Amino acid sequence: LAEILNLCNSQQLSFVLNYVSPRLKKDPFKSLPNELCLRVLSFIDDPKTLARASQVSKHWHGLLSDDLTWKKLCEKHSYRRLSGAGVLPGSSYHSDVSGLPHSPQEAGFGGSSNKKGFQSEITPQNTVTPRRRQYLSYKSHFKQRYMVETAWRTGGQAIAKHITPDQGVVTSLHLTPKYIVIALDNASIHVFNADGIILRTLQGHMMGVWAMVPWGDTLVSGGCDRDVRVWDMSTGENTKVLRGHTSTVRCLKMSDDKTAISGSRDTTLRIWDIEKGICLNVLVGHTASVRCLEIHGDLVVSGSYDTTAKVWSISQGTCLRTLSGHFSQIYAIAFDGKRIATGSLDTFVRIWDPETGVCQGILQGHTSLVGQLQMRGNTLVTGGSDGSVRVWSLEKMQCIHRLAAHDNSVTSLQFDDARIVSGGSDGRVKVWDLRTGMLVRELSTPAEAVWRVAFEDEKAVILASRAGRTIMEVFSFSPPLDTS
Amino acid sequence: TRLLTLLSSDSIEKKVARDVAERSILIKNMLEDCAEFDQAIPIPNVTSSVLTKVIEWCEHHKNDPAPAADEEVDSRKKSTDIDEWDQKFMQVDQEMLFEIILAANYLDIKPLLDVGCKTVANMIKGKSPEEIRKTFNIQNDFTPEEEDQIRRENEWAEE
Repeated sequence: LAEILNLCNSQQLSFVLNYVSPRLKKDPFKSLPNELCLRVLSFIDDPKTLARASQVSKHWHGLLSDDLTWKKLCEKHSYRRLSGAGVLPGSSYHSDVSGLPHSPQEAGFGGSSNKKGFQSEITPQNTVTPRRRQYLSYKSHFKQRYMVETAWRTGGQAIAKHITPDQGVVTSLHLTPKYIVIALDNASIHVFNADGIILRTLQGHMMGVWAMVPWGDTLVSGGCDRDVRVWDMSTGENTKVLRGHTSTVRCLKMSDDKTAISGSRDTTLRIWDIEKGICLNVLVGHTASVRCLEIHGDLVVSGSYDTTAKVWSISQGTCLRTLSGHFSQIYAIAFDGKRIATGSLDTFVRIWDPETGVCQGILQGHTSLVGQLQMRGNTLVTGGSDGSVRVWSLEKMQCIHRLAAHDNSVTSLQFDDARIVSGGSDGRVKVWDLRTGMLVRELSTPAEAVWRVAFEDEKAVILASRAGRTIMEVFSFSPPLDTS
Repeated sequence: TRLLTLLSSDSIEKKVARDVAERSILIKNMLEDCAEFDQAIPIPNVTSSVLTKVIEWCEHHKNDPAPAADEEVDSRKKSTDIDEWDQKFMQVDQEMLFEIILAANYLDIKPLLDVGCKTVANMIKGKSPEEIRKTFNIQNDFTPEEEDQIRRENEWAEE
């Protein structure tokens, strides 16, 4: 054969090549058993290639519909697993939204203004609300998550934008499955539905509201007027007024559906039965304002301007431990049952063992007050008045990423498995990749100042000051409805 | 170490050192199960040319550390990287490539199986459907309507 080929001229050789080469090619997915084909596919981690491969032939299309491939892809991209019911865990978040009353007047806030003084540049449509579908396969699940991720990186759309009648500072923002709630230093609390349609304004506080906590339809709030108020957000009714604090209420949390705990500038914490409307216990021990608190199980931990944090038993109403070490006021606290993290004006973050009160680590790096702090598992993210955001490993007690986030203070931050969203007094909202620490994008256009940002899987809410007014913007990263 | 004799499906005998042959979990388990192994070990599913390649791979990799038990952990990273020697090793015609994958699967040589699967995956990556068809000489058996519909179904992945 070699001798024959040696006799051939290049034209003949190229004929031979064209004749032979297709015969040397074989469809791998017909040569290999399915289990091995799927193994090959498991090494492909970009959806584009998989989508293209499914267009090769019927046989390939069939293989590419295999849900195990997409399940693995979901795992590789660290997307949430499908629950047994075939619904995303996150989607239960919105599942009962459609049960909300949407009376015509509630929906009719479009255009100019209304009796509450809201001006809406974009008003969400009622049709956006029940947007959840059942995700039955990993392929559609992957597609959904992939489109959401893409929207977070480069897309997303503003589904609501309201200019509030207030010029006040937004002191608190909460997203719940049913509501978006904001509190201001001018005594107002505004309640929106999850899509950003204004539902009602809760009026009752005489002075600025500095703390609030939602629980289902219940909201508990407190502020400068020293009262703790309990509201039913579904009706707007102020069901209880809890009196006792002798100075500004600075922080509030709930431990169950009828127990709220408030911390005050009067140096005490109070444990309230919000159903009966009575104070169950006064926790005395701090010698200065109680600035922040966090609850886990029967324990409440409080951070104070007296430079200490204290661990209290809710049921016994007693102080179990005092955490001493900071040189200056404590402004932020996080507690997950296993660890306590405190952020202080002394620029340090300290990690404490709640059982022993021992300081397990001192995290140094911020150059100014550490006022923002969130802990998830072994990851801690902090933000400071120095404008930086830092990501820490609590296993190594080390800084993993240092983000030059904002020109001025970090006013607000939140993170989940994938991203960090930070807001600053420089008026910018930035989205960061948690793993790499890289800036993903800026969200919205720069404002004068960002008071608060909060997000969930497919939504972000920004409260900012623009042209002297307080503006709320709701961004959606949900894929369009019409995709299968 | 002792030499073993492997017998390919086309009845060709191959001598191979025991530690090399034990890269195959199948052979390793066989050897553990029976005390004596004086006879040739039949490998009925693998031809001699493929067996030669497989032995060549095992020779080169005989001193590799045992793969970690939780091999799925780093699945995110392991996607396509293949070391240089393996890349050269895998420069064979497609028929042989698929035969090596089948043999590695049968003989239970997981690292070789993965190198083979990665090689095929790399031949698919970044290609358009038509380029994939050309690469493997696959007939497009969709009707134009079907093709159009499937293209639309998959548009979401194209950014």
